[in-house]
Amino acid sequence: MNKIPEQIVAKIKQEIDKVDDVKLKMVATEEGDVTVIYFSSLIEKMTLQTMVTIPLANNLKQIHQMAQYVDPKDIQGVVKKLNAGQTLLFFHEVNALLSVDTYSAPTRAITDTETESTVIGPQDAFTESLETNISLVRRRIQSSMLKNENHIVGSETNIKISIMYMENIVSHSNLDDLRNRIDQVDYPLFTDISVLKQLIEDNPLSPFPQYYMTVRPDSICRYLLDGRIVIFMDNSQLAIVCPTSFFEMFVSIEDYYNRWTTASLLRMLRFFGFFLTIMITPMYISALTFHPEILPYELLLNLQESRSKVPFPPLIEVLFIELIIEVLREAGSRMPAKVGQTIGIVGGIVIGTAAVEAGLLSNILIVLVATSALLSFLPPIFLMSNTSRFIRYIFILSAGLFGLFGQMLAFAWLIHHLLSLKSLGTHYMTPAIPRKPTDLLDNVIRFPTKYLKNKSGISKAQKK
Amino acid sequence: MSTTNGKVLNRYHVIFLAQSIMVGTGILSLPQKLSSMGYAQTFMPLLFGLLATLTAFAMVWLCSKFPNDDLFRMNEKLLGKWVGRLINFLIIIQFIVFSAGIISNYMHLIQSTALQEQTITLPVLCFLLLLIYIVSGGIKSIARFSVMTFFITIWIIYFTRWAIEKGDPSHFFPLFNFTSKEFFEAIKQGYFSILGYELILFYFPFIIDQKKAFRHSLIGIWISIFLCFITTAISVMYYSEWQLKRVEFSVLNLFKAGEFTFIERIDIIGITLWVFLILSSVTAYVWCAKRGVDTLFTKKKKQNYPLYVITIIIFVIIRMPFSREFQEKLFLASNYVGYLIVIWPVFLIIIYTLRKKQVQV
Repeated sequence: MNKIPEQIVAKIKQEIDKVDDVKLKMVATEEGDVTVIYFSSLIEKMTLQTMVTIPLANNLKQIHQMAQYVDPKDIQGVVKKLNAGQTLLFFHEVNALLSVDTYSAPTRAITDTETESTVIGPQDAFTESLETNISLVRRRIQSSMLKNENHIVGSETNIKISIMYMENIVSHSNLDDLRNRIDQVDYPLFTDISVLKQLIEDNPLSPFPQYYMTVRPDSICRYLLDGRIVIFMDNSQLAIVCPTSFFEMFVSIEDYYNRWTTASLLRMLRFFGFFLTIMITPMYISALTFHPEILPYELLLNLQESRSKVPFPPLIEVLFIELIIEVLREAGSRMPAKVGQTIGIVGGIVIGTAAVEAGLLSNILIVLVATSALLSFLPPIFLMSNTSRFIRYIFILSAGLFGLFGQMLAFAWLIHHLLSLKSLGTHYMTPAIPRKPTDLLDNVIRFPTKYLKNKSGISKAQKK
Repeated sequence: MSTTNGKVLNRYHVIFLAQSIMVGTGILSLPQKLSSMGYAQTFMPLLFGLLATLTAFAMVWLCSKFPNDDLFRMNEKLLGKWVGRLINFLIIIQFIVFSAGIISNYMHLIQSTALQEQTITLPVLCFLLLLIYIVSGGIKSIARFSVMTFFITIWIIYFTRWAIEKGDPSHFFPLFNFTSKEFFEAIKQGYFSILGYELILFYFPFIIDQKKAFRHSLIGIWISIFLCFITTAISVMYYSEWQLKRVEFSVLNLFKAGEFTFIERIDIIGITLWVFLILSSVTAYVWCAKRGVDTLFTKKKKQNYPLYVITIIIFVIIRMPFSREFQEKLFLASNYVGYLIVIWPVFLIIIYTLRKKQVQV
């Protein structure tokens, strides 16, 4: 009889062999000896003291109230609990295993968002802690209809994700679809939620992001109340919103805080900016290579003069400068922040002017490329601006092949690709034909707030 | 990708499918085709519209008797298996040649305006690849593409502004200054510009609201007719009668009337943007041809290789080593066969009424 507890402790010890941050302590209490097992790296000393050590010494009743009974024969389950930051208490006399939730790993404080900052509106952003993120949403939507389901993904990382939705608004078929996809995910390591996003997207081969990702709790709340489903992941700052439409990639939550006039202006800028940024430099190529007659004489003269010393054909010239811009951008983002800015700006100016003076590039092209580079940063979703960079190369190459005709072919491809994409089973390019007429009120032109009560068509929200 | 099973086309799809398939290269040379009537051609498109309405009515009536079958199956049911199959085979060939004709016309136009220093082989190849990509998405994908096509290309109308300003409205009168021979010549030459609405015979089984299909496709047909009307009206205002006869792509020259300080030749942008319209009509024809092949030969559906074969045939027709004259004759012949397909439903209706009791719906 006396040997069984020892065996169990020995088994646990065997499981956690060579894990040096596991602590095992024997404590003598009123109810006999107790073995305390916990991960010191996941639990703060203060928590351990108030939750375990002090009650063990003074007030065993408190332990019994807080703790849960665990089946000691299920060694795997016991180890999982240990890994999740719980403290195990083994009572030798009565041969019972209890666990107390003491998870208190150090987390970051809530700070401003650096990637999606706005001038107006709340400044807090999600952190890497799931609990904090859910709390940030729950304090904004105080309703019992706000549900969150936890799942575990990743066979090795065992990471907790949380699916959040409004029970009374969300479309349940969407929800089932999403749960199915998450169940089918078979991937060992999740270091960020973007990994999960790529695994549950409708078309993983497409260059376009099919779900919205944000770190802003106010934005998430807006989408939740529109009937979308939001996924959080522990240790990941971003949250996924699905389904989302192509147009929503150009919507910033600040649009709803600005006056409707300003907001509409900015939205037009972003939306048409996307098409401009992929069209400007290819236009330069096709106009100079294939259709010089498209330009009026004076303008053509001006252009030719500026590239009179340039030895390359326009296609090579454009590819050259676009690649330089990519290099500058990449170098700027990888360098340590203090060096990065200076090198970036100086490099840009020096390379830019020097290249023109050396006769490698025409200065009109520099203006065009700079404009299109700036335009590519307009979408509030960073993934979308990356996409526009990629798409631009397709357009540049096709303009190099067939001029304007190639550009239009590429454009037709782009339109068809966007039309055939889906986001969680709903068409991605919804505004082609709005699912509901009221969608038009919150489109490129944002109507005054009092007209924006309707749920959008893409979320397939339940009717009341 | 969207499924081709079941009903997928809503009303917008029906409207814009009818509209976009009709507007192809035909509208570009419509004023020249009608030029036998001289200035009196202005209102011809409206007459075409009436004809189209009548024939479309016959088509939809026939389709409503066979709500789950396309023309290929109707042929087999009404004419018997072997005769029906023969006719179907001819229709497939017709569609392939007809699409090849559209693409070939357009590509030669591109070559003469935008890509003067290249052969059309590579552009045609790229075009056909895109075609395969769109067609393999099914009819719904084509329909959605048609909707976008309409909104992407409709603003071209704005560029006719200068032509209207420079034109002379007095050219419209007198209204009925033509002989019957000129009139029939114009119909024969011009009607093929508005072909395309007959494809409802093939996508009718996919329409969700079949009872209103006639109304919706009429909206689409009349949008196109209205565009044709604008084209002829502006051309009549802008050109002299001599020019109407000689200028082949008069619409493009209308764009040239534009005056911007930063763009000289709007027609190049216009003609390259036209690729959307060409794609939306050719994809529909190729889709129909593919469905025909499916019903003729293969038992398993949802295979894509008939599509590849069709595209290769189209490519061979366009780039075959025959003379341009032979090609033009071939494409012209396929236009006239196109008229036959428009009238075909009337013939089928007669057979249907005769064999009503024997045919199982």
